[in-house]
Amino acid sequence: MEHVIEMKNVSRSFQEKQAVKQVSFSISRGSITAVLGPNGAGKTTTLAMLLGLLEPSEGSVKVFGLPPTDVKVKQRTGAMLQEVSVMDRLKVREILALIRSYYPQPMEMEVLLQATGLGAADLNRYAEKLSGGQKRSLSFALALAGNPDLLFFDEPTVGLDTTARRHFWERVRGLADQGKTILFSTHYLQEAEDIADRILLFNRGVLAADGSPDEIKARLVKKSLSFLASGDPALLRSQLLELPAVEGCYEKDGRLHVTTGNTDEALRAIFVNGLAVQDVRIDQGKLDEAFEQLTLNPEEAAV
Amino acid sequence: MRKPMMAQCKAELLRIIRNPYYVFWSLLMPIMFYFIFTRVVNTGTDNMKQWQAHYLMSMAAFSVMGSSIMTLGIRLVQEQTQGWNTFIRITPLPSSVYFLGKMFGQSVMHLFSILCIFSAGYLINGVSLSAAEWLFSGLWLLAGSVPFLALGTIIGSMKRVDTASGVSNVLYMGLAVAGGMWMPLDIMPALMQKIGRWLPSYNYGDGAWAIVNGGSPQWRAVVVLLGYLTVFMILSVYIRKKQEAV
Repeated sequence: MEHVIEMKNVSRSFQEKQAVKQVSFSISRGSITAVLGPNGAGKTTTLAMLLGLLEPSEGSVKVFGLPPTDVKVKQRTGAMLQEVSVMDRLKVREILALIRSYYPQPMEMEVLLQATGLGAADLNRYAEKLSGGQKRSLSFALALAGNPDLLFFDEPTVGLDTTARRHFWERVRGLADQGKTILFSTHYLQEAEDIADRILLFNRGVLAADGSPDEIKARLVKKSLSFLASGDPALLRSQLLELPAVEGCYEKDGRLHVTTGNTDEALRAIFVNGLAVQDVRIDQGKLDEAFEQLTLNPEEAAV
Repeated sequence: MRKPMMAQCKAELLRIIRNPYYVFWSLLMPIMFYFIFTRVVNTGTDNMKQWQAHYLMSMAAFSVMGSSIMTLGIRLVQEQTQGWNTFIRITPLPSSVYFLGKMFGQSVMHLFSILCIFSAGYLINGVSLSAAEWLFSGLWLLAGSVPFLALGTIIGSMKRVDTASGVSNVLYMGLAVAGGMWMPLDIMPALMQKIGRWLPSYNYGDGAWAIVNGGSPQWRAVVVLLGYLTVFMILSVYIRKKQEAV
């Protein structure tokens, strides 16, 4: 399959701090990829390198097989940056027309006007007078101005309300259906899970996990068992920890919880060994928690 | 390539025309000064007609110099800090076209300022020059603004709008006063005169003063302005390269 994006062993440092460390991945055409991670994970730095705004300190970045700064790449790429800014003293319509003129095969003006989601009156207003949400819509339309094959959205839904967020993702899906490759960054887990067909999980500059939302989930989510001890809790605890299927054991809200990679195996072991448990429950781990686990500092996680 | 160029020039022009500060700083203030120093305050010159033409050139130069340094400089900083530049960098627009668009917008604005201020001179004092004098002094003022535009791009490389506006204000006023735009250099102390003659502002004004005085700009003025242009351009390019390297 054709690779639209290829990053190989890319690192980027700012003075002493290494923002991105040895990141490699490639992205195939027509996919929707989420770059997921907490603030400061290196998402924006990675996007900036893909957009040719930053040079990697090490490694190579290729977009459409070319360096990102190549004009041929820029002609096929559109982006919505985190910091939304618009030229002042120009009307919405005029800004769109201006940016369109930069591209050899721009998107039709009508489509762009629609993409802004703005009414006729707002289209004739000065862009700097728009509200924050409206500016975001405009910058979404600007990303489409060149009718790009590849689209970057850097934390596109920050500050949008639920309705606006839903509308945004509907439009993104529409673009993906047209065969456009989409890469977006987010720190909302749910978004990555709902929208993307692939998640690149970043944590402290490292690509911590890479796979489909289900794969990521399976890897990150630990199921757990919980029950009440019918005998001596301390004894039960030590017995549990001797079982190979049990990875950990802790008490919460009066119930004893057991973490395990395989709940069936653990249950079998508990019953075969006749441990004194009652009111058994299997808890489906949530991705949010797992994500939190993964991104906590080691010291914090140990507490 | 021609299409983005045209679009860029048009957009820059629209933005400048719609900027209310422009009207005040580039038109109202110089015209007000002109009125005050040729009609209200008695400057005690023997040749009133000549003074009125001389001071008209001073004010036109003052206006164009100001917009070159301040409007251009502060605008560049604004676009940088607001992230608009970053967006432009990911579009296929070459930075040269972006830059030329800016220069075009500025030049049209300068032309308009010159026309307005010349008209004000005619309306306020009935300044009458030959067609050639009007034309050449106007062209001189337009062409001579280039070193100040280069200075504007240096201001434009500053990180904060506050710094840029502070520094450009001081530079602008300092150059105007010390270069004999507000009052002739001849009435200043000898040392000030000596320094003044080496300033770009004085040499800029001097060309126009020479033209309305029936002469033509001296080579010295041309050479000094070209010298400043070279220095400012090298500095501007150097600073930008250094910033990009981070």
